[in-house]
Amino acid sequence: MRRPSTLTAYAFVYLVFLYLPVLFLPLFSFNSGTIVAFPIKGWTLDWYRKLGEQDTLIQALWNSLGVGTVVALLSTAMGLFAARAFVRYRFRGQRAAEGLVMLPLVIPGIIVASSMLVLFLFIGLKPSLLTVVLGHTFLALPFSVSILKSAFDDFDASLEEASYDLGVGVFDTFRRVTLPVVSPGIVASLLVTFTVSFDEFVLAFFLSGNQPTLPVYIWSQIRFPAKLPNVLALGSILLLTSVLLLVLAEYFRRRSSASEVR
Amino acid sequence: MTVRNIIELRGVEKRYGTFLAASGINLDLKEGEFFSLLGPSGCGKTTVLRMIAGFQEPTKGTVLIDGQDMEGVPANNRPTNMVFQSYAIFPHLNVGNNVAYGLRGKAPKAEIDQRVAEALEMVELGGLEDRGASELSGGQRQRVALARALIMRPKVLLLDEPLSALDKKLREQMQFEMRNLQQSLGITFVMVTHDQYEAMTMSDRIGVMFNGRLKQVDTPTTLYARPCDQQVASFIGEMNILPAQLLEENGDTLSIDAAAFGQMKIERNPNVTTSARDMNIGIRPEQLEITAEKPEDYPSTVQGTVSNVAFYGENIHYHIQVAGTDKPISVSVPNYFHTVDFNRGDAVWLGLQSASVIDLGTDTE
Repeated sequence: MRRPSTLTAYAFVYLVFLYLPVLFLPLFSFNSGTIVAFPIKGWTLDWYRKLGEQDTLIQALWNSLGVGTVVALLSTAMGLFAARAFVRYRFRGQRAAEGLVMLPLVIPGIIVASSMLVLFLFIGLKPSLLTVVLGHTFLALPFSVSILKSAFDDFDASLEEASYDLGVGVFDTFRRVTLPVVSPGIVASLLVTFTVSFDEFVLAFFLSGNQPTLPVYIWSQIRFPAKLPNVLALGSILLLTSVLLLVLAEYFRRRSSASEVR
Repeated sequence: MTVRNIIELRGVEKRYGTFLAASGINLDLKEGEFFSLLGPSGCGKTTVLRMIAGFQEPTKGTVLIDGQDMEGVPANNRPTNMVFQSYAIFPHLNVGNNVAYGLRGKAPKAEIDQRVAEALEMVELGGLEDRGASELSGGQRQRVALARALIMRPKVLLLDEPLSALDKKLREQMQFEMRNLQQSLGITFVMVTHDQYEAMTMSDRIGVMFNGRLKQVDTPTTLYARPCDQQVASFIGEMNILPAQLLEENGDTLSIDAAAFGQMKIERNPNVTTSARDMNIGIRPEQLEITAEKPEDYPSTVQGTVSNVAFYGENIHYHIQVAGTDKPISVSVPNYFHTVDFNRGDAVWLGLQSASVIDLGTDTE
């Protein structure tokens, strides 16, 4: 059989178009010139060095880290209970509930963002990091629910029954059996939801008020051409961290699937 | 001295929507007996076990354990422990911590360590406390599950298909080990199984279930010799079932005219509840004599042709086509002399003692 070489070529070109621009980001972050264009003038680490000197940037970074941590904890906690209920029990309205939880994945971000802004202003919540946390938790929930659902799918229900049977109550069973067995799934969910929040722009832009998160800060800097290489350096760091976090999350997710196999 | 009932089920019923998983279950389990619930998959035997364990509440009826009504008592407060079909070994704990699980916080550490060591010794896993859950073989997992349940000193140990995940050799070995364990501990064991041999080799008594109903509760020997109807008869061991007509009843003696074998007098089966003119009789394959010449000392004989021969090693199975019934009659002969005496197509005689004929009554279904 002849190899479908045109298809291979197509796939190759497709991947190049998809990922090459992303690779330009770190490449130009080492360029000593301020204009983002070839040829590269010279190599430098200045842009990275200068990142540490900018107080507003550091503040935005702290904002993002704080929001991401709270969002990861909130959405993973909620996702844990939702996922257990979806996998363990059959109840009226289950499909509707599962669909609703997944909805944020398909609603356009701008719609969610503007309606949330209207809602929060209506109930008297000023745009702040708190509103960003609420918005991001809504966005991150489908990720934690689907990761934890796959963790519970591989979790033999008789493990919990065995614990009850041995005289241990519902809460202690959750603490001593359920949590440890799904813990790789929990770690994966924490990492993914953190990344979702950390990289999110649209909601944060609408809801952060005068407390910008890192993506909002980057957007504000990108208007000044002189700052561009600086933003590229920052972006490269974020890119690397996100990829690392997601790879780590995938590792834990797979471990959670493997742990119940003999 | 009468033995105390440790478990009593009174008119227990379990309904899932419109599906009746179990109904009309009345059962007394004696202290210290090995009891098996036997039946095909989906017959409701696991549901009954889970109602005793407390994982399911009966829709109707009462479950008493040691005289106490168990209504509203959750599984963690019942004096029963269970060995699960999947064994449910906690994957994040090592063997020692798995076995100690139910005792943690309820006894001093030194006592727990001592009891874990004893429990592991009892199931022949002594010294394996530090072995990880994922490093255990199927048989070892089963032993850990046993030790983990028995360390709680339950009044009743419940076993849900405990041997079905093991291979044949190990299964047979574990049958004897579990029986020995039960007898040395003197605890009531209640086992659910679909394997009739497993039930027969291990149990003091067996309850046979079909379609959510408990059909017969008896010792293995009675169950084999006097099944209450056709369904039970064909589920426990192999049985030739032939139609017959009831000619006359005289006390406990029935005069019948059986297909193929003709008229004979047989003993009434006390376990049969329905009898009418059209009835069935059962004959175990090993109770029939097979000979080349017409046998002299058998009151009932019939001539036939060998239609099939199966060699099992310890015995040989023949299928004999006879006049008067469409289904061939199965005959099982011990392999005494390492010879297969008859071949397909041979003409043979079957001999039958009327004492070997089982009255199966009239089929109600």
